[in-house]
Amino acid sequence: MVTDALSNISLFDLFPLLFAERATDAVMFRAHASVKAMGQLTDMKIKPGCSVYRKLAGLQRLTGKVPWISSTRPAPLLTAAPVRALVDEQISIRGRFLPPRCPVTVWARMHSDEGDLWESFAHYNSNESGAFSLTGDPSVGGSYLGCEPMGLFWSMQPAPGGREGLRLRKKNVETPYLVHISLLGGHVSPSGGQISELAAVTAERWYMAPGVKRIAIHQNGIVGTMFVPPGPGPFPAMLDLWGMGGGLQEYRSSLLASKGYVSLSLAYFGHKDLPGPPDRINVGDLYFKAAFRLLQDHPQVVSDRIGIIGLSFGCYLTLRIATRTGVKPSCLVCINGPMGSTVPLTDSDGRTDQFDSFQQYWTFDDEGRVIFKDVSLPANLPPDSFVKLEKLDCPLMYIVGEDDLSASSTENADLIEENLRTAGKSHLFTRLSYPGAGHLIEPPYSPNARSSMWSVKPKKLITMWGGHPAPHAAAQEDAWKKILDYLEKHLRS
Amino acid sequence: MPQQLKMEEKPCCVALSVQPSRGLVDEKFVVLVQNTVPSCPLTIHASHQCEDGHSWHAFAHYTSDASGVINVSEDCSVGGTYSGVEAMGLLWSLKPVPGSKPGLRMRKKNVQAPMVITISVYKGHLTEGFGDQVPLAGTEVERWYMAPGVRRIAVTEDGLTATLFLPSGPGPFPGLLDLWGGGGQLVEYRAALLASHGIAAMALDYLTCKYTMETGKMVEQDYFEAAYTFLQKHPKVLSSRIAMLGLSLGTSITLKTAVYSEVMKLRCAVSISGSHVQPLDGFLKETLGYFNENSGKTCFTEDNEAIWRNLLLPIPTDPSLKVDVGKLQCPLMLIVGEDDQNWCAYESAMDIKEMMERAGNSHLLTLLSYPNAGHLIEPPYTPHARSSLFRDVKSRQMLMALWGGQTLEHSRAQEDAWRKLLVFLRKNLYGGVKSTSPLSNL
Repeated sequence: MVTDALSNISLFDLFPLLFAERATDAVMFRAHASVKAMGQLTDMKIKPGCSVYRKLAGLQRLTGKVPWISSTRPAPLLTAAPVRALVDEQISIRGRFLPPRCPVTVWARMHSDEGDLWESFAHYNSNESGAFSLTGDPSVGGSYLGCEPMGLFWSMQPAPGGREGLRLRKKNVETPYLVHISLLGGHVSPSGGQISELAAVTAERWYMAPGVKRIAIHQNGIVGTMFVPPGPGPFPAMLDLWGMGGGLQEYRSSLLASKGYVSLSLAYFGHKDLPGPPDRINVGDLYFKAAFRLLQDHPQVVSDRIGIIGLSFGCYLTLRIATRTGVKPSCLVCINGPMGSTVPLTDSDGRTDQFDSFQQYWTFDDEGRVIFKDVSLPANLPPDSFVKLEKLDCPLMYIVGEDDLSASSTENADLIEENLRTAGKSHLFTRLSYPGAGHLIEPPYSPNARSSMWSVKPKKLITMWGGHPAPHAAAQEDAWKKILDYLEKHLRS
Repeated sequence: MPQQLKMEEKPCCVALSVQPSRGLVDEKFVVLVQNTVPSCPLTIHASHQCEDGHSWHAFAHYTSDASGVINVSEDCSVGGTYSGVEAMGLLWSLKPVPGSKPGLRMRKKNVQAPMVITISVYKGHLTEGFGDQVPLAGTEVERWYMAPGVRRIAVTEDGLTATLFLPSGPGPFPGLLDLWGGGGQLVEYRAALLASHGIAAMALDYLTCKYTMETGKMVEQDYFEAAYTFLQKHPKVLSSRIAMLGLSLGTSITLKTAVYSEVMKLRCAVSISGSHVQPLDGFLKETLGYFNENSGKTCFTEDNEAIWRNLLLPIPTDPSLKVDVGKLQCPLMLIVGEDDQNWCAYESAMDIKEMMERAGNSHLLTLLSYPNAGHLIEPPYTPHARSSLFRDVKSRQMLMALWGGQTLEHSRAQEDAWRKLLVFLRKNLYGGVKSTSPLSNL
């Protein structure tokens, strides 16, 4: 039987792994196919016969192939649906045509826009019919445990040997992440060496739905990016603010536009097109008011249905815009941020002093990583920067990550709630609080960075954001859904 | 309390979503309209401009429920290009817009780019004038024949005119030769879709291929053998698991190959809208010649549409004029539309079934027969053409061919047949090591 099986096969049938099409395939497989082994294969004439079988078996061990793979059956099937999805859509990943009760590893990897490799893996066992699915079956090992349909995405970590202090953030929202998902034999650790890829599927993860338009904004001094949904409109709108990391982050806006909101990501700090020295905020209330008005004046925007979403320092800005600049947002979403400025103000318009001169509240852990949490303790915030919450006239949703190491979110939430209660405005306040979640509560299914590189000059500094993978992922998923429902309620009905 | 909105007021933020917004052609989507005025008549409209520039549209009339919601997968259309509860009706009921050139048929040429469809919601129950009104909301949907990671490879070696689609992953994959019918050309979209489901599928042009265009001669059996061998030898194809799928004239080749070929050992075969009737002597040229001899049996409708179904009728009793399906040794799926006006597919299927029952190998046969489905049983959720302009490759004559089928039932047939086709292929190409028995529960 062995000789029959061997008589009709070609080299290619047996060892597809050794003839990887691209160099990248070979790197990913790490198949221990040494030059010597390759030489042996090419010299050898495949003839029916036991001695050949022994040689082939030896080479099989070298490549780490699982014993039940043969030349007479096709590889098992790995599928993902939908295979092109928005990042907040669930994907159903399944394996079929495996032997029954077979241990397998699902391994996902992708490159960030900067070219860093991120990866995750999980261990599953096929059922009696040789199938398994991530939506129904538990992972028994790897980057996450238990039944987690989207675990492969949110549990991704930078691949070993990569740059340190990475955080995954999509820069170019007009292209998708390409996630290569492989099915490997056995319960293996993919970085550990011997792997055999049985099947693979490529999934696209998009931050922008078809038809959404991206418009760079450089007018009236406003620096930002606007996203407009497809269709005639008019649409409700969102002003989108991030934190002291600065720059211009587009991915939450593009997602909101994909849900039918005209959305403006606004830069206010750390962007080459903004005025003044780069180490402080040089734009004031008028700047933010102008950005809000830009949305209001847009022909496709319903001018009295505009909300603001802010994370971290963006929280304070959100509250400040709503209470000081004269504009009237319809609702606010604040995530893990202070109700006052974390840097002293230099004028009544909100411009700030240099950041790094105020480090007295920075703390450091054993590994020299900076923890900013105490900076935003209400007692430590400049009193003249506190937002006057009694002036708040619209609903506010405040989201707390209880393991936030970068901001004193719980304390600020408490104070906001108390101030609103004193002002007789408790009915405006909604709080969501997530145990185990950190500072960076972002759109769902993206990995959390518990810490990441904060600055490289004058010296390398890593900051702690907090959050543990599984609870943080659950928080992101739940919070996003609740945010979207909240926006529906206050901006559409 | 939700505010009472009058219809005259500026409509606030009707939300229209389609999920997934980027899907494979055979994936279902959910069209959801929210935040409309409750109990409001609305029209949902789909429009698409195909590659040759023609405009297609579909539309359906709904009434929003008490919460201002329409869910196309659950709610009933009361009029338009489809009615009833039809989740995918906006796609399969697409028709050329009024004023279009007659005889159009939508076929994707470039499978590496998606079909883009604009879906909109309009106030009221409209049947025309969509371009003149501003919709309440609109969105865009992409429909892809190719999944990410599928590789498209042009094949010209060994004299072949073909395109191979490889699924993502290391393989090895089962292989499939994909054959279309008498219109010729290299039609890629079905093969691309099959590769998106894990099968290394090769679309093969055998009527207008390079050899035929250069020599004026029809290809012989060795052309198909070369295609089969190419697949067999391919490093990512499992040589013992190669199937053949043929539609229309492609069925003639598929059945002959499945029964008689010494070189091409098919793991399984699928024949759509075709017949086993052909002279056993010879191959393609002789088969086409036989049709030609019978061309006098062509009928025409009042609208001058050609009906070719009678060419092979009555089903001959002479065994030298039919593939001896009693000798078939691999599983065969037959898909036929009972309203096929182009080929006598249904009658042929009945005869095939009877021949196999007599020979004792009918356990290999899976027969799917669809009342009111026509000839062009294609991947689902694509428009149905009851007739279209057809250029016969031999005569180079352009005629209006009647394919048959009633749109609703034809579209249901496409959906059902495709699902069962995939199950059949997967079971035979992925499952089991022994030669398999037919599917007990489809």
